[in-house]
Amino acid sequence: MLSAIAHTTLATVAMAGGGDGSHGLPAGEPFGFQVPIAPVVDEQSFALAAWMIWLPVISAVLCGIYAALGVKSRLPAWTTVAALAGSFVIAAITVSKLDFAKPVVVHLFDWIDLSWSSGSGTADDKWHGLRANFALYLDGLSAYWILFVTFLGTMIAFYASEYMEEDKGTGYCRFFAGVSIFLFAMTALVLGENLIMLYLGWEGVGLASYLLIGYYYKKPAAVAAAKKAFIMNRIGDLGLALGIYLIWLEYGSLEYGALFQALQAGDTGAGQYDGWAATLIPWCLMLGAFGKSAQFPLYVWLPDAMEGPTPVSALIHAATMVTAGIYLIARTMPFFLMNKALGGHALEAVAWIGGLTALLAATIAMAQYDIKRVMAYSTVSQLGYMFMGLGLATSFGACYHVLTHAFFKALLFLCCGAVMHGFGGQLDLRKLGGIRRVPGWGVVCWTMLIGSLWLSGVPGSAGYFSKDEILSQAFITEGAGFRLLGWIGIITAGLTAYYTFRVWFRVFTGPTHYKPDEAHGHAGHDDDHGADHDFHPHAPGLRINLVLTILSLGALWLAVGYFVGDVWGTQTWIKNAIENSSAGTGLQLMPAGEHPTLLGFDPHTAMYFISGTFGLVGLAIAWWLHCANRKAADDLRGWFNGRAWIAWLPRAMEHKWYVDEIYIATIRFPLWIAGQALYMFDRIFVDGIGVNGTARLPKIAASLFQPLYNGKLQGYATSMAGGLALVIAWIVWVWMRGSV
Amino acid sequence: MQLWILLLIPLVTCIGVGFGGERNARAIALGGSLVTLAWAAVLAMQFPHWQAEQWAYWPAPEDNAFPVLPGLGIALELGVDSVSLLLVLLNVILMPCCVLGSWVAIKERRREFYIWLLVLSTCVMGVFVARDVISFYTFFEASLVPGFFMLAIYGGPDRREASFKFFIYTFVGSLFMLLGLAYVAWQHAQQTGDWSFAISDLTAFAPTLSAGEQGWILLALMAGLAVKVPLFPLHTWLPLAHNQAPTAGSVNFAAVILKLGLYGLYVFILPMVPEAVVTWAPTIAVLAVIGIVYAALICWVQTDVKKLIAYSSVSHMGFAVLGLIALNPLGLQGSVFYMLSHGFATGGLFLCIGMMYERYHTKDLREVGGLAFKMPVWSFFFIVLVFASVGLPGLNGFVSEFLCLIGTFTAVPDAKTGYPGVLGPWFAAIAATGMILGAMYLLYMTGKLCFGPLREPADHHESEELPKDLSLREIAALAPIALICLIFGVMPWPILHAVEPVAEEVLKPYPALVESHFEQMDATAKVSLLSDTTLEGSR
Amino acid sequence: MNDVAVSLTQAGEASTMVPITTGTIQIVLLVSAVMFAIGMVGFLTRRNMILMFLCTELMFQASAIAMIAFGRMHMNPEGQVFVIFILTVAAAEAALALGLVVLLYRRKPTLDAEAWSELKEC
Repeated sequence: MLSAIAHTTLATVAMAGGGDGSHGLPAGEPFGFQVPIAPVVDEQSFALAAWMIWLPVISAVLCGIYAALGVKSRLPAWTTVAALAGSFVIAAITVSKLDFAKPVVVHLFDWIDLSWSSGSGTADDKWHGLRANFALYLDGLSAYWILFVTFLGTMIAFYASEYMEEDKGTGYCRFFAGVSIFLFAMTALVLGENLIMLYLGWEGVGLASYLLIGYYYKKPAAVAAAKKAFIMNRIGDLGLALGIYLIWLEYGSLEYGALFQALQAGDTGAGQYDGWAATLIPWCLMLGAFGKSAQFPLYVWLPDAMEGPTPVSALIHAATMVTAGIYLIARTMPFFLMNKALGGHALEAVAWIGGLTALLAATIAMAQYDIKRVMAYSTVSQLGYMFMGLGLATSFGACYHVLTHAFFKALLFLCCGAVMHGFGGQLDLRKLGGIRRVPGWGVVCWTMLIGSLWLSGVPGSAGYFSKDEILSQAFITEGAGFRLLGWIGIITAGLTAYYTFRVWFRVFTGPTHYKPDEAHGHAGHDDDHGADHDFHPHAPGLRINLVLTILSLGALWLAVGYFVGDVWGTQTWIKNAIENSSAGTGLQLMPAGEHPTLLGFDPHTAMYFISGTFGLVGLAIAWWLHCANRKAADDLRGWFNGRAWIAWLPRAMEHKWYVDEIYIATIRFPLWIAGQALYMFDRIFVDGIGVNGTARLPKIAASLFQPLYNGKLQGYATSMAGGLALVIAWIVWVWMRGSV
Repeated sequence: MQLWILLLIPLVTCIGVGFGGERNARAIALGGSLVTLAWAAVLAMQFPHWQAEQWAYWPAPEDNAFPVLPGLGIALELGVDSVSLLLVLLNVILMPCCVLGSWVAIKERRREFYIWLLVLSTCVMGVFVARDVISFYTFFEASLVPGFFMLAIYGGPDRREASFKFFIYTFVGSLFMLLGLAYVAWQHAQQTGDWSFAISDLTAFAPTLSAGEQGWILLALMAGLAVKVPLFPLHTWLPLAHNQAPTAGSVNFAAVILKLGLYGLYVFILPMVPEAVVTWAPTIAVLAVIGIVYAALICWVQTDVKKLIAYSSVSHMGFAVLGLIALNPLGLQGSVFYMLSHGFATGGLFLCIGMMYERYHTKDLREVGGLAFKMPVWSFFFIVLVFASVGLPGLNGFVSEFLCLIGTFTAVPDAKTGYPGVLGPWFAAIAATGMILGAMYLLYMTGKLCFGPLREPADHHESEELPKDLSLREIAALAPIALICLIFGVMPWPILHAVEPVAEEVLKPYPALVESHFEQMDATAKVSLLSDTTLEGSR
Repeated sequence: MNDVAVSLTQAGEASTMVPITTGTIQIVLLVSAVMFAIGMVGFLTRRNMILMFLCTELMFQASAIAMIAFGRMHMNPEGQVFVIFILTVAAAEAALALGLVVLLYRRKPTLDAEAWSELKEC
């Protein structure tokens, strides 16, 4: 009923606006999802799923209690690992029972549930509530996401139990409480049944990220980075919040089930506000996603976030939290498709911003010396790919890349962490080399090689398959300049291979040399390897090596799964999960029938060769410059620096294209000046002139009469007498006039 | 009778404090405030309208009116609805925390201090439970006196200026309010022949006045209430007073006194002058939005942490005002919730700062900081309260901020909520930048105060009276507040449900008025098109 | 109070009280005016506090005389009642004022009113 009205209104508006009606839905062709979304069912048999969310909460509370009790053992770590493993097991059980095509809602408890009578007073019944309860929404997308989130959470907590060993005591409890809070928020984000619960998780992961980046709170850089991350995310959150308001304004609900049904029924949401608000929804959501997932222009917080302990970087800032933006857009894909159907360009914008961020971040990563920062920029770059995939309407490609990236990037970070941990906080790749030959570092070296290969997308690796899925799509989906975007992606793939192997070759091959970082030293915590003269690297222990091995096996499995097909087939399973959920509706936008071709081949086939070639070329260049002939790298740098017309390029890349400085100059500083100016305005004008000035008015008026009060008694008497005389004169005058 | 007892308990305690000797003053005051709390809890349990479908006062007016001057219709009448009872609870819960927070800080003239504190408590509760204009106004003004003395005797170095400004500014404002109320009562007497000062009579009568008269009444009432709220640009007394007041005073000012203004908006302005509200809501909203952004930017450049929190109150109250004049149940419920959550979160922050001040005798962010290592328990509470203020989901600030903003956002001519409004997305969008700015200044403060290397004033030496980190007494003052912040964030619905009938009752005349307001405006194509859809849509 | 006045009036009517003539009252009022003028001029021109105080008393009594005269003219005893009050108050005042003068004299051995102007505002 409402949608019918919306339809008419939209058409009327389009006519009135002089349009040809092309902004409306195509006549006679109802908007539908390629895979229709079934209405939600509330099933009691999934009640166990609630524990996915509660176990991390319990572990967070327990860690808090341990901190209060002053526990100095590894108890917090084991509690957290057990809780997260429990979450993972429950997730696995739940997913195995789940039919991806039939979303299930599990109600936990009432949170916000408002309803009221109609304002016009015509209806007595309560209607139109704002409902956002604590409930879980289980479908292919959330099942897929929760599986790898809880799995990696468990693994990384296990790794951290060794990594954080030095801080046993309050710090240890604090760390694991933070990790538990993060997992709670992430599960709420992924499993939430409505946008407000997603928002709860969204801000919750922001809080966890703030607390964990600022873990070394005595270090000003860490505190600043934490603050920056939270505030940058808040800018994104503003977008998300506005998006949520708009959705509520247009559709009157915030629950996925109701929203998807409304969209499926063709509700363009244009019934309100001439429809302009409806077209804004995807743009607002996009802003939120870009904030959380570190895309241009809101990516600058992610590299700084590397100030946190490395397990945090691996878990939050590589594998899980930063993919929340991808999740958001995949989850709300129907809104983007609706936008596309109405002639909007939101999806194109997602694709382009993703692609350009991928390129920008890759160029910066090429010139960094801090290996964690290289990985951070590579994360930004890979996230760009995922957004590109979403924008190109291959949710499957994007989500597939999320999974492979989660594995290999977590692996890479954990390897970096192991190096940093073992070499006294050293992260500068100029000060490390040939670690391969240091005893005890074999596992780290070879697992990191796997991670690097997977990130570079060399043929046969998991990253290769998932990235190709996105890149080839660029040549299939119709959209503004998508073919150009595809080539940008391909070039970026080459750059990726280069900077990844630049790190690996520099750190693990060549002559062995290393020294600890004097400045770092775990931020004032008592640590024993600050001294330079008798520095001995300590090799990673059993737990770190075990986690690295498991993750690399997982990464291998993701690649092997591609070949063995349906039996162990990861790809088929993922495709099934994604494309049966609300995210999988994108294929509808592809041209029916024949695909366009790329260089005379089907794009999928062509991409195997093209991206493989670019990846291998990048790898080869890295090998030449950083392993085989390191002098060539110095020569190249000298060549660049010697020429004025090009010397700015490596410098700008090393300084991250000065984006941070631009932000400070254009936003932070003006705002600060505005703050100071307003404070001055408040004191001088509002308070000084406005308030004190008004308060002074009676005093000014009084000063007119002040000379009368000269302290002479006779003076007062005279004025009294004079006053009396005046009064009498006035009475007499009135009396005289009256009598005349 | 129950409510009279509620008001009398603190006053009786005052006598006890007065005769109990300087040493016992704080213990007696604590006991008295706990008894008040217990009695208020009993009342809350007796209160029959938590789940009501219809809005109603309790106890019924005829049981509870005490005629003073029957010829002039002056009768003292007390009664609560769910909103005022919630605000009373806010006050009584914070009162023991205030006493605990001043336990050591007040060293001289203790009896007097606690007497003023208890009198202040009586006065603000009196405002919330008053059901007639005379007692409302009396308590409203009387609350200035204890505030004035607490500020003037126990305040910081600028206490003279602060106390005078606080008193005179708010007093002058409320004189205009009295004028407005008296005009309504006079008109009521003129037109019905009976004098009455009961709020229910006046609110039933006032909407029949002409739009022009309503406008003037709105102006007069706003003059008094906007100062208290405070609304930009009438806020300047607040940073000064909050900054200079002793801890308990700051807590009370921020948590309760500011709510008097909002409560006045809810109890007088919305029901009395609906036509004028519809006309002037955008103007008030503009002031609120300016206040949000303006105060937030000012917060960011403060170095005095108490002043920072004081300005943040100005910013936060803007949200509550927006929610109130969004004229839909979402916003109104959000606004009431905002009063409570701001009371707890900001009150708690002031308590925290007080505890830090007792140890370091400075509240300058440049001199003290990095306390997380030295005072982990304190930092824990501080960070929880900061995030409650930031509006982190799961804590109380989020629910209120979210509802106020979404209420403002949906206050459009053709809102699906059935309650059209005169604000709209632009107000909400600009106000929502306050979320970012709020995170900026609050995290700036946290970063300076809790994190980074430890900084202490040069002349600092450990006090023998206070432990390095919080004592059990201080934890007992903060823990309930932090717990409430969490509970409100996770389980807001009992309160939201309790406010539902109130919202419906207060907003009953508005949808029709707003619609006729839009009809009166030039009937452009747009407006007629939109209102057509509203009519159809609401069926 | 009112009852007393009424009974007095009735008592007066019963006795030989008659309204005085216009000429008589003019004389009495003239005396009152002259007394008042003398008092005022004295007050304005003298600096001695005791003299100034006496002058105010003079003005006071002038008004009392005028009141009695008018009361008699209207056959209304309230004028006399007021005068009795005035006299009482004036006596009390005189005691207080002279006491104050003595106190001031102890502070500064002068009776000049000009010497006491600390409260002036400019």
